[in-house]
Amino acid sequence: MTTLGLDAGELSRCVQCGLCLSSCPTFRVTGDESQSPRGRIALMRAVERDGAPLSTPVRRAFETCVQCRACETACPSAVPFGHLIARTREVLADEGLSVSPPVRAGYAALGHPSLVRAAGRALAAGQRLRAVPRSVGLPRLPLRQGPLTPSGSDVHLFTGCVMDAFERDVHRDTMRVLAAAGFGAMPTGDRVPCCGALHAHAGLTRPARRLAQRAVSALGDGRPVLVDSAGCGAMMKEYGQLLGSDAARELAARVFDVSEWLAPRMAQLPEVRPLDLRVAVQDPCHLRHVQRVHQATRAVLAPFVRELVELDDDGLCCGAGGAYAFVERSEARAIRARKLASIARAVPDVVASANPGCAMHLASGGVRSVHPMTLVARALEEHATSRSARR
Amino acid sequence: MADDALEAFATEVGARGPVAVEGARTRWSTGGELEPGARLLRAPEGIVEHRPEEMTVRVRAGTPVDELHCELAAFGQRTALPRRGGTVGGALAVGEDDVCALGRGRVRDALLQVRYVSAEGAVVTGGGPTVKNVTGYDLCRLFVGSLGTLGLIGEVILRTNPVPPVSRWLRADGTDPFAALDVLFRPSAVLFDGRATWVHLEGHAADVEAERRTLSAVPTAGGGWTECEDGPVLPPHRWSFRPSELRQLDGAVLGAYVASVGVGTVFASHSPPPRPQAPALRALAERVKHAFDPGGRLNPGRHVALLAP
Amino acid sequence: MASRATRRARPQPAAPDPIVAALVGVLGRDRVRDDAAERSLLAHDASVFSGGAAGPVCFPTSTEEVQAVVRTAVAHGRAVVPRGAGTGLAGGAIPLGRPVVVVTTKMNRILDVDLDDRVAWVEPGVVNLDLTTYLRPLGYHFAPDPSSQQACTIGGNVANNSGGPHCLAYGVTGQHVLALDVVLPDGELVRLGGLDAEPPAYDLRGAFIGGEGTLGIATLIAVRITKNPLRVRTLLLAFDTIEDAATTVGSVIAAGIVPAAMEVMDRRITAAVESFVHAGYPLDAGAVLLVEVDGPEEGTAVDAERVVEIGRANGATTVRVAATEEERALLWKGRKTAFGAVAKIAPSYYLQDTVVPRSALPGVLQSVYEIAERHDLMVVNVFHAGDGNLHPLLLFDSREHGAIERVHAAGREIVEVSLAAGGVLSGEHGIGVEKRDYMPLQFSDVDLDHQNRLRRAFDPACRANPGKVLPSGHSCADIQALERVPAGLWG
Repeated sequence: MTTLGLDAGELSRCVQCGLCLSSCPTFRVTGDESQSPRGRIALMRAVERDGAPLSTPVRRAFETCVQCRACETACPSAVPFGHLIARTREVLADEGLSVSPPVRAGYAALGHPSLVRAAGRALAAGQRLRAVPRSVGLPRLPLRQGPLTPSGSDVHLFTGCVMDAFERDVHRDTMRVLAAAGFGAMPTGDRVPCCGALHAHAGLTRPARRLAQRAVSALGDGRPVLVDSAGCGAMMKEYGQLLGSDAARELAARVFDVSEWLAPRMAQLPEVRPLDLRVAVQDPCHLRHVQRVHQATRAVLAPFVRELVELDDDGLCCGAGGAYAFVERSEARAIRARKLASIARAVPDVVASANPGCAMHLASGGVRSVHPMTLVARALEEHATSRSARR
Repeated sequence: MADDALEAFATEVGARGPVAVEGARTRWSTGGELEPGARLLRAPEGIVEHRPEEMTVRVRAGTPVDELHCELAAFGQRTALPRRGGTVGGALAVGEDDVCALGRGRVRDALLQVRYVSAEGAVVTGGGPTVKNVTGYDLCRLFVGSLGTLGLIGEVILRTNPVPPVSRWLRADGTDPFAALDVLFRPSAVLFDGRATWVHLEGHAADVEAERRTLSAVPTAGGGWTECEDGPVLPPHRWSFRPSELRQLDGAVLGAYVASVGVGTVFASHSPPPRPQAPALRALAERVKHAFDPGGRLNPGRHVALLAP
Repeated sequence: MASRATRRARPQPAAPDPIVAALVGVLGRDRVRDDAAERSLLAHDASVFSGGAAGPVCFPTSTEEVQAVVRTAVAHGRAVVPRGAGTGLAGGAIPLGRPVVVVTTKMNRILDVDLDDRVAWVEPGVVNLDLTTYLRPLGYHFAPDPSSQQACTIGGNVANNSGGPHCLAYGVTGQHVLALDVVLPDGELVRLGGLDAEPPAYDLRGAFIGGEGTLGIATLIAVRITKNPLRVRTLLLAFDTIEDAATTVGSVIAAGIVPAAMEVMDRRITAAVESFVHAGYPLDAGAVLLVEVDGPEEGTAVDAERVVEIGRANGATTVRVAATEEERALLWKGRKTAFGAVAKIAPSYYLQDTVVPRSALPGVLQSVYEIAERHDLMVVNVFHAGDGNLHPLLLFDSREHGAIERVHAAGREIVEVSLAAGGVLSGEHGIGVEKRDYMPLQFSDVDLDHQNRLRRAFDPACRANPGKVLPSGHSCADIQALERVPAGLWG
């Protein structure tokens, strides 16, 4: 009989009110109690308290969770669902019940920047040769990316694994914006290969801890660590819980989403003509429900675009969920369909998403999505160009 | 709880033989002619208890609606019952709304508790005395408009509402009543007779004035919106339409008419034809009738599907 | 086969339910669930009651499929229990005796909105708040707004005749439903009500609403949509005592003002929700009163001013007016998530739902606190004061020995006190399994017999949600298939 080793107090905190149901992307698309936070908690209780077997439907209920953690912001009783499901997934992974060996190898590769970059280049080449089916859901990847050079030493810019391989230009844009605000940034590059978020989501807690420990050691200089990927930022802010050390807590306390950092410092950015764009803000779940700093994205974007428009789905997840879009493809697509409908109703020129995973997932659904920093950088750049043209 | 008047009414009704209740006969033929031979009774009369602070009134079915409203007016209150004469029980049995239903509410929403005499001669209570209640099955709604065919209403508790401080009727010729309904926030009534439109506005003075200004933007044939003492005189027969169907009313079929825009009721000089019921609905309605009045002794000859004579 | 099964460590699975194959024939394998763990999830709703037992769980997507499922159940002699989001608080959706559970959440389309007739046609699984969100750009909303509106379904609202804070002025669900397509317990389809002013036939639509799934399953619902108010003013009044707040409520109504909503929260629950929403609820007040007036500009200004005057005359210590829509939204979020927030105080709660005359509120509240104290229970009060609808929450830990019994006893006393004050058993949560045995406290045998006649007219064979609403002794209450009596449901 499997036990999940969950905290009895955390488990009993749910009063089954059901207010979480509508915030849960998988419940939204299935209407199925077993695909809801309340249902998953009830199943955890059944396994934990009544010794219910980890039958296929039970295991699937846990695996299909996107771990968006929207249920946590919806829960008036503050049930720490993220913690419960992470622990449950860890047990499933340990028992070999989920995460197949090839997938496990993929996660292992994330800790090795050169492997990730090589894979990125291979995929990019494959795309040119039409050897990578579009149904895989990848955006068009760059064949070559120039290196990032430090612009100063005020702050660290965490560059990560997949994002650095696939979307280094976003880091470049972020550094431009930071520079315009007067902050020189040091890209973390190979010093910190990966935050470990994807591993933690998959229940691979040990590798996640190893990567987190590496970040704590590498970034011990007390400088702010800025992150332009919402999922990585959320993970790093939770290093304290993950590692339980003072050093980890100390680092976590100086991790900021780049918009969170800039929002109170907007006066330091120049006033420029806004881009003539109607921009829909898509809140990455780990920015909205975990970091809870999604309003900062709006504060930072607002002066640089003509119009910001809100989506009408109350922050429902897009289904990207780190590796979820690749592991649980049909669920991820069903969830994305709701998001695409909401985006269509908002009729934006472009969607701003502060998480590369969301942006990729939306892009493969046909949405023009960019990182907010890219928009700000472009507004700054156009302004500079037009000024020099006038001179 | 025991009420002698109600018990006496129950005794009169008894348990045998066809029986019907007579009110003021203002809508006597609604639902078809009573079968001859039915014993005619009168429901008990009188206001039992008005609780202004609860906005409820307990009243016996035979009480004239006018008398009830007169009593309530002294406390600045009213009900949704129609101001067309008749008794409280009759108005509920017919289920007719006031012509200002948009402002005064629907009769079916106003009945909080019903005490009726069953086909077996027993006093039965449905609903409850409070303004909010979902205890058990909603016999109150079942009884509104049931023409006394399921039980004979003896006493009811009704919801009351405050009378707004200001009330105005406005009239215009050659205007679009649907446009008037659209621009106004919550008019009490928008009525249309094929030529003229009447609008009833209620509320605080400044709000009524603001609504009146809003209304002035709706074009008229000339002469604009003028204030009048009262709404139009209503023809006797009621037709029931969907609100959107009022855009294509046929005067040749209806005769003279006054349509309640936004509601769908049309008061017309011609009587409406019987309306067909789907077989499954008819079977269900018959099961309900049979469950409450297995012998068919209550108001024999009346049929709920027939809205008006 | 047999030898392989015995080698397994797990206990041998029970024989397959004979109806499952037939249901799979109707819906396909994906939309019929018979796994024990999955079925166990549907044995609960949001109430404290457990001990229900679900049979096969079905997810139909159309009226025709609901009919086919119901007819299959009839053919197999099985009962049927409909379920929406499972946010009910009286156990109305808890399956008794392994009935077929029909979940409506996959029937969640908004099919049509017609502004001319001011109606929206929706499937029963549409989430209440989703409809209002959908209508917002059109300037309309769906008026019933139960606290669970972010999760509960409109089909569930119809089954329970749900209310919510704003039903004080706008009325409960029954006032906002125009027509219903209903699959009767024998599988027959009927349309009840209609879009016209006075549809022919008895008001069976009105009778069906609040039937808690015992009269059939609504598969298509036409709801009235309501124009958004021109102006909304939200006031927060703080009082030293809950009695002062309750007296204020009675005085406001007596002054002829009917606000859109009047809600009271006592000190403990205010603290619990404030720590969740950070709306700026005062933590030092004995009770807070949330009043909302809506309508036109002038009327709301006059009413708001008078509410403040009446509040001050009754001891309001502070008065705050929500200045922005965000502030207003936060205050309401606090109120609407109050039930869920109590887990911060204790792991289990039992929520009562009675209505008393508004003038009786202060006295009954006092009694409620005394009753809780006598049974050594913590009670918090958060309720729809404007219509006298009490919601005492008795807080406990179900793992504590004897707690359930004390809660049960206190709950019954609260019911008795409410009825003695001229009240009723339920204002909006319904009877379900929770209060079916209290029904004789409010109704005579003859009254209940007549309610039963209505039920039997819809469901002669007692197939629809048996064991609910009417107490034992009336038909459809004592169905043989019930494995456990409701007394055993507590805990």
